[in-house]
Formats: sequence, C-alpha cells, structure tokens
Amino acid sequence: MEAVVVDAGSKLLKAGFAVPDHPPSMIIPTQMKCLPADETSTEASLHEIIIDPVVRGFISDWDAMEDLLDHVLYNGLGWEIGNEGQILFADPLSTPKAAREQLVQLMFERFNISGFYASDQAVLSLYAIGRISGCTVDIGHGKMDIATVIEGAVQQISSRRFELGGLDLTNLLAQELGKSYPLVNLSISDVEKIKEQYACCAEDDAAYEKLQLSCPEEQHTLPDGQVIKIGRARYTVGEALFQPSILGLQAHGVVEQLVHCISTVSSENHRQLLENTVLCGGTASMSGFEDRFQKEASLCSSAIRPCVVKPPEYMPENLSKFSAWVGGAIIAKVVFPQNQHVTKADYDETGPSIVHRKCY
Amino acid sequence: MSWQSYIDDHLMADIEGNHLASAAIVGHDGSVWAQSANFPQFKPDEITGIMNDFENPGSLAPTGLYLGGTKYMVIQGEPGAVIRGKKGPGGVTLKKTNQALIIGIYDEPMTPGQCNMVVEKIGDYLVDQGL
Repeated sequence: MEAVVVDAGSKLLKAGFAVPDHPPSMIIPTQMKCLPADETSTEASLHEIIIDPVVRGFISDWDAMEDLLDHVLYNGLGWEIGNEGQILFADPLSTPKAAREQLVQLMFERFNISGFYASDQAVLSLYAIGRISGCTVDIGHGKMDIATVIEGAVQQISSRRFELGGLDLTNLLAQELGKSYPLVNLSISDVEKIKEQYACCAEDDAAYEKLQLSCPEEQHTLPDGQVIKIGRARYTVGEALFQPSILGLQAHGVVEQLVHCISTVSSENHRQLLENTVLCGGTASMSGFEDRFQKEASLCSSAIRPCVVKPPEYMPENLSKFSAWVGGAIIAKVVFPQNQHVTKADYDETGPSIVHRKCY
Repeated sequence: MSWQSYIDDHLMADIEGNHLASAAIVGHDGSVWAQSANFPQFKPDEITGIMNDFENPGSLAPTGLYLGGTKYMVIQGEPGAVIRGKKGPGGVTLKKTNQALIIGIYDEPMTPGQCNMVVEKIGDYLVDQGL
C-alpha cells in the first residue's frame, strides 16, 4: 500500500496516496459543520456550528482534526482498521514543537499508523518543481510563508511567516462590496466565491491607479437572484498583496518581503535562491499575480532580483494549488522505503519528541 | 564506565547498519574527555562559537558552523539543547549536556535522523545522570 500524503490547509485539505506527478485524489474543505445531537428540533439548521480545525495554517481544534482525518483516511482513502499504513504530513513554517509532537502522538495512538514523517511545506513545494534549493512564496488562505531553503533545509533565520492570506482578502472584498451595496446581504461564502471568480492583479501600480479611477464592471448574479456589479474591487483585492496598506497593515509588499529575506542569507547563496523562486498556495494562483510579481521583481533596485520558476511540463496543471502535496508524494517514495521515517517502534521507545530528531 | 567506552561502545556503535564517521565528548571549555580515532582536531574558538549559539540560538546561522576547519550549514536544531549542521550528504549533531558536549559527525549512507538518535540518546542519558 502506498503511503498517504496529507497537507491540511486553513481552507482546503489535500490528501491522497503518494503517486508522484499526479494531483491529490482528495481536495476537500477543511471547514466542518457540527450538527446538533438533538435531531428532533425543527430549527436544526440554525444550530449548525461551523468549525475550522486549521486556523492560520496551524491545527487548532484537535478533536475536529481527529474527526476530519478519520473521515479522510477511512472513508475517503479506504484505510481499514487494523491495517493502517504510513502517512506523511506537510507542516507550515514555524509550526510549534508541541503541535508537531501532538500530531505524531495522535497518529500513532489514535490511528495506529505504521510509519510517520513530516516535512516543511516550503521544502516540499521546491521538490515538486525539481529543486532542493530556492525560495518559496506560499500564500494560502490563512497565512503567507516566505521561506528560503538550501539543500532541503529551511533557513529559519531568513524565513518569515505572515498571518495574512486569502481569508483577509475575502474580508476586504466583503468590505468593498458592502460599501457599494450596503443593503445586500452577502454571506462570507458568497464573497469567497466572488473573489475566486473575479479577483485579479493589475499589471503594475500605475495601471492600478488608473483602474481605481475608472474600471469596467462585470455583472454577477448572487445565489438568491440579486444582481450586483463588480468593478475595481476585484483589483483592490489583488493589489493588497503588493500594497498591504490597503488592508490597513504597516508592512512591505510581498516582493520586498522576499528580497529582505534573501538579503539576510549569506551572499554566496543569493543566486541559487533568486533563480529558483516558487509561487505557490491557493491565493498565489490569482489571475495576474505571477506576472505582477515578476514585474515588481524586475523593478527591484538592489542586486537581488527574484526570478519565478515554471513547473516542469510533466506536472499537472494548477500545481501551485497543491505543490506541497506533490512534493510530499515525491519524498514519500524515498523516505519510507529507506526507513528514514518514524516507525511504531521508534515512537514506543522515545515518545512524541522523536519527531524533532527524525523529521526535518 | 570510562568516557572512551561511551565513544567506542555507544556513539560509534552500529545503528540500523550504519555508524557515525567520528564522535567526541568534550567539556564546555573545549577539553577533550574522549574521542574516536579520526575525530578532527578543532580550535578553541569553534567551541566558543558553539557554546555561544546554545546561549543565543541563531548566532551561528549567518556565518555557518565550523568544526575542525570544516564548514557546516546550520539547520533546524533545538534552541539551547541541540545544534545540527549539514554538509552535503553528511553533517554533524551537537548535544549539550550539563557539563559536556556530545558531538557526532556522520556521512552517507547514515541519515541525519540516525545521527540524531545516537547522539541525543547518549546526551539524554548523561543529563539524567547529572553530567
């Protein structure tokens, strides 16, 4: 049986058997609904509680995560109780030690797996495009990680995590639409869908300024039948990544942040990092983002100019939405057969702290 | 048990078919308590740099970790307890105990995980003994 690879994001959980060069077989929303135990109530739908097991990239609700993994492994991927296999997890940058230990404990004690490995999402995204060194700009739903990786090891000192992601852009869009349509009742999930359909990045900041003054509007029909027009708000959402002041944040845009991170690495490695820059994550697949990023990068005044790398042709389309998962599938083929993973025996002997020794 | 037997019987022992390239137990001041035959000769200021990194984690990362003149790239360790360095397919793990430093240098086919297991296990044992 192949090993299972899981990348649990704040919005989408990617899971599947480790078959390289293929997308994950399961891409499901991480968000769960808690149905009330009392089914006699006729107003049951009003008591539905929405639970997010993964917040800002980190697992925060362990009970919910356990239920979600149970569904994914036994129902989704067909694991049988008593015959559980090996599993590889993709961790975000700066995952707390305690969280890594709790995950390995959960997997061995509750799910009785036979082998465990965890790797950083940044390292995995680079493996997916065939590199062991480079930088990744991973913009997900709940967080943005800018990481520098050299020979398969994340340089902690020059990597940064930002609590900024698609979620904040959705809220921004909701705010902008609320200004134009104060009386229309827009749910967050409606705005999320509008964002995915319409959000894009202007070519450069001059183009953005022009669009702010006059922008062609598109009509969109909401689920309840009302029609709204979406104009410059779609570009505002994309621009926020390059000008975080739009979100009210005192921070530099994404390209400057990357340049700053690279500059803290010793200069002999600069070229390697710059020539191998990967954009990944759901939010980074926004229309126009890559071109704008490359354009901003070429305008950099310093000697440090990132160059975005294209994925190999044999990789599935939309790789950036699940590059960490694909990298996990690639490395699973090496780690498990070569016994570099944490086995049940290792866990029983040393306990959860074994994850820091064997997986990094 | 003599310090040398910690090296010969434990640190340099086989784990899953592989063993460390060299190992040593040194004091925090750099004095050698025991070492394997081929352990590189290191300089006092290399130990100073290492001890400083245990106090101020991250201080070695910009310049790199030097041991016996060899430069290792600093990778994720455990602040204040373990420093790990990488050089191509090999590397080094340094574990700090109350009075000593356990150093294990590995090369392929040994994996970083295996080196960590050996070095840190001995380190944990010594810490339990108060050393």
